[in-house]
Amino acid sequence: MATPLKRVRGLGAARHGTETFWRQRLTAVANVPLVIFLIWFVVSHAGASYEVVKASLANPVVSVLMLAMIWSAAIHMRIGLREIIEDYLHNKLCKVSSLMLATFFSAGLAIASTLAVLKISLGG
Amino acid sequence: MVQFTLPKNSKIKKGKEWNPPAVDADPDRWREYRVYRYDPEGGENPRVDTYWVDMNDCGPMVLDALIWIKNKIDPTLTFRRSCREGVCGSCSMNIDGTNTLACTMHAEEAQGAAIAIYPLPHMPVVKDLVPDMTQFYAQHREIEPWLKTDSPTPQKEWRQSHEDREKLDGLYECILCACCSTACPSYWWNGDRYLGPAVLLQANRWVEDSRDERTGERLDDLEDPFRLYRCHTILNCTKACPKGLNPAAAIANLKRKMVERL
Repeated sequence: MATPLKRVRGLGAARHGTETFWRQRLTAVANVPLVIFLIWFVVSHAGASYEVVKASLANPVVSVLMLAMIWSAAIHMRIGLREIIEDYLHNKLCKVSSLMLATFFSAGLAIASTLAVLKISLGG
Repeated sequence: MVQFTLPKNSKIKKGKEWNPPAVDADPDRWREYRVYRYDPEGGENPRVDTYWVDMNDCGPMVLDALIWIKNKIDPTLTFRRSCREGVCGSCSMNIDGTNTLACTMHAEEAQGAAIAIYPLPHMPVVKDLVPDMTQFYAQHREIEPWLKTDSPTPQKEWRQSHEDREKLDGLYECILCACCSTACPSYWWNGDRYLGPAVLLQANRWVEDSRDERTGERLDDLEDPFRLYRCHTILNCTKACPKGLNPAAAIANLKRKMVERL
């Protein structure tokens, strides 16, 4: 029996969202050169031996760029996944659990990739 | 999960063919209209009825054809209309696959041989082509679309420079027909929380108004992952607007303002 205005107002404005919006734009811009770099790196090492690729990855500049790409892409992916889940999943339990899984997945991927790059660059 | 298919009682069935023209009738003279019909009191599923309109006896616009059908064939056909010149926004509906105003759409503009007419998408239907706009109007009310000031009211009027007045061009012309909002997938899936392009364009109209003194509060009330940020810049709104406005640009301006004050 709630009035239309009461329904529309709901719990009020969350007063946040702009930082996420900005972060999404920022990582999108960062991803352009970083992904181009990644593609260039993969293509230029096509057919190269394990040792050569490992040595290239251990280069500090390459390592820094790889780490930047991993985190920029992971943050961007986390925001994108959240948008998709919020758009299409309306069941509360399904939505909350999917949001948690999306966060765990993005974080897990980023942490594992970071560890791999660090291991190589620090001579592990 | 978002409901992509229609519920059982909303599935559209084949309807009645009202006045098929004679076999030897001039095909250029008769235009086929397929119109969505639904009466919630009848308890039956919606159907699509077919009418043939004598273009020699009818005005050129789609609204003329609907009025012709109502007057000459089927008086039970229900639709909203008022100004018949694109000012009131009453006759917004989905014609030939696009949300637009029946009064400003020329029948000849329709691509299909038969002109399909449905109510605005994803809105509850009151009857036939009449959608329930209650939520849409409540959302408009929610953004408080009036001048809000704290300074003492001037003796004459709130003054505005020509330059500041020009900033409202492309915003004040909105007639709230809801063609844009009901063309927006984000509004379809989350219309209960996302305000939609029409209402956000109106919100931007008041944020941009140099006379309004509550800009910050207005932005506070919009800053929400759903109210504003459910817009994914799909641009259906801008494509659909029968007044040639650009709600997507208005929303982008609101987001820009939000970032400016970070």
